[in-house]
Amino acid sequence: MLLGPFFLIMGIIFVGGLIQALVQSLGYLPAFGMDSVSLEYYRRVLTDFRFISSLRHTFYIALTSSALSVALGVFVAFLVHKTKRSNKFSFTLLRVPIVIPHIVVIIMIFHIFFQTGILSRFAFAIGLIESAHDFPLLIFDRGGVGVIIVYLYKQIPFVMLMVISISRNIDSKYFQVAENLGASPFQIMTRITLPLLAPTILSAFLFCFAFGFGAFEVPFLLGSPARQTLPILAFIEYTSPVLDDRPAAMAINVIISVISLIMIWVYAKVLSILTKRGMEGAIV
Amino acid sequence: MTSMHVENVNKSFGNNHVLKNISLSVQSGEFVSVLGPSGCGKTTLLKLIAGLEMQDSGHVYIGGACCDNVPARKRGAVIVFQDFALFPHMTVKQNIDFGLAVKKISRSERERKIMAMLDVMQISDKAEFYPRALSGGQKQRVALARACVLEPRVLLLDEPFSNLDPGLRDDMREFVSKLQRELGITTILVTHDKEEAFMLSGRVAVIIDGCLQQYDTPENIYKKPHTVLVSDFIGEANYISGMISNYHFSCALGDFDAAELVDGEAKLMLRYDQLIISNSKGMPCRIISKVYKGNVTTYRVEIEKSETLGLPEALTLKINSSDSSFEPGHKAFIRVADRAGHVLR
Ligand SMILES: Nc1ncnc2c1ncn2[C@@H]1O[C@H](COP(=O)(O)OP(=O)(O)OP(=O)(O)O)[C@@H](O)[C@H]1O
Ligand SMILES: [Mg+2]
Repeated sequence: MLLGPFFLIMGIIFVGGLIQALVQSLGYLPAFGMDSVSLEYYRRVLTDFRFISSLRHTFYIALTSSALSVALGVFVAFLVHKTKRSNKFSFTLLRVPIVIPHIVVIIMIFHIFFQTGILSRFAFAIGLIESAHDFPLLIFDRGGVGVIIVYLYKQIPFVMLMVISISRNIDSKYFQVAENLGASPFQIMTRITLPLLAPTILSAFLFCFAFGFGAFEVPFLLGSPARQTLPILAFIEYTSPVLDDRPAAMAINVIISVISLIMIWVYAKVLSILTKRGMEGAIV
Repeated sequence: MTSMHVENVNKSFGNNHVLKNISLSVQSGEFVSVLGPSGCGKTTLLKLIAGLEMQDSGHVYIGGACCDNVPARKRGAVIVFQDFALFPHMTVKQNIDFGLAVKKISRSERERKIMAMLDVMQISDKAEFYPRALSGGQKQRVALARACVLEPRVLLLDEPFSNLDPGLRDDMREFVSKLQRELGITTILVTHDKEEAFMLSGRVAVIIDGCLQQYDTPENIYKKPHTVLVSDFIGEANYISGMISNYHFSCALGDFDAAELVDGEAKLMLRYDQLIISNSKGMPCRIISKVYKGNVTTYRVEIEKSETLGLPEALTLKINSSDSSFEPGHKAFIRVADRAGHVLR
């Protein structure tokens, strides 16, 4: 029952921060002599072309990276499971990318994928390209490839670990029953394993999505200057010397929080549907 | 219709030699029980037949053909597991449909079979329920339906009644017995419950310590066990020492036929209900204790030592009787019931 105080503290920090942001987003900053309350800044943000394109870009990055992470993570997890060589060592190895700080991954990815990076030099050395400029722009690019690669590097092992450890907990009897009733290994995967893993996969997807949606340093360091994600937009507004931009930054933060809350709500909803179907056994 | 044989099958898990040289034949349409104590390898035997485990040596034949190299999903030997193992993410209907769907049978055909099976199992009203909303008996019928709808060549039942409460258990036993006769499916039931085995099947295979001890009719297993091991497992009995000579066994209670045994020391086995206690006929004895159990009363009686009878020491026997009027300390008479008494080593 230590969960009570835990949620209390988490709640105070979250609600406190949110209220602060909410108050400021309404234009109430007495310290700067601003004390009129209005929805003006929301109107300004929501009609701002930069905000709309940033919102779209953020969704694109978060969705692409989380969908790819989950798809590849689940796929590789199954392959690993098949070969039955998922021993302690490989389990530890999987944890490495998860604990490496993002910044280190960013530098690694930069050195490998940038136009003057290792891949590019290799392609040049074997005569695939004639100069560094012929190498496709994967970092600072508008498609966010560099950013997505960093997320994949961190998240695929995370998804794999989750899927492997949960599928170990699924009663192996279900697989035997399915086989006994005539199912092929592929049918067992699609009809038993994947549905039983659905709640886990959903959790993993949401976790990845939330990170891709809210993370700052990765798109800040590897993203295209022309395509900013929401957190970066908020940061730029926040650090702007124009005083008026401060409430706008807060409005963006509130919008990010609201979107996150909606996602949590959707998650809980889907989870409860799955639970009703009796799949609680596989829920993390 | 399909017969089933296992031939000299051995199976070990590490150092644990679970099944030792088991051979068993089941005829087409027959209902056979495999009876043995917990952990004797009953589930393992079923898994070997179904192909979910591979034997270390020996062969499995289904319908006369060796199927050692046939994968489980193509053997047509379907197990109903001890804990039913219904898929939790599927409704009753989807569970029953599973084996049909993976075989790519047409939808209308599947629908027809499922409906018929729901009807047979009397669970039509539960078709859209998820397993966790079902009672134990309903779960079991779904598990049975899921197996039977495939019209398996061999149906394997793994202690299907042990998770049910007693009242329901009797109903389900009758239900399964009737179903088996109607469908005529070759069926093997494994259980540690002797009553269940005797009640349901024409032949019972007793496995103890990994060895097939005896494969016989329920009556022979009960009255004519080959060894004390089987006799003890099946039920309580009195054992009276004596000698065999010239195919005749003699002891304090008289002479008995021992046609199949060679000369030497042996024992007479008498179940508690194969002795009759009365006020007049038989050997005099004294009642030592009495335990009233409702429909029967178990008496412990003593026959005094007597050189003439060949009893160097007093003989204590236990008797079940429907007559509860005898009291400890009193005298009574006992005799062996007609044709009772079985000689074993
Ligand atoms: N996969 C396995 N790995 C190792 N040992 C096993 C395995 N399966 C069964 N055993 C062992 O084999 C023995 C027989 O097991 P089995 O499940 O066949 O017994 P059972 O007769 O069905 O028992 P119960 O009546 O309790 O169900 C047990 O000692 C068990 O520990
Ligand atoms: Mg068992």
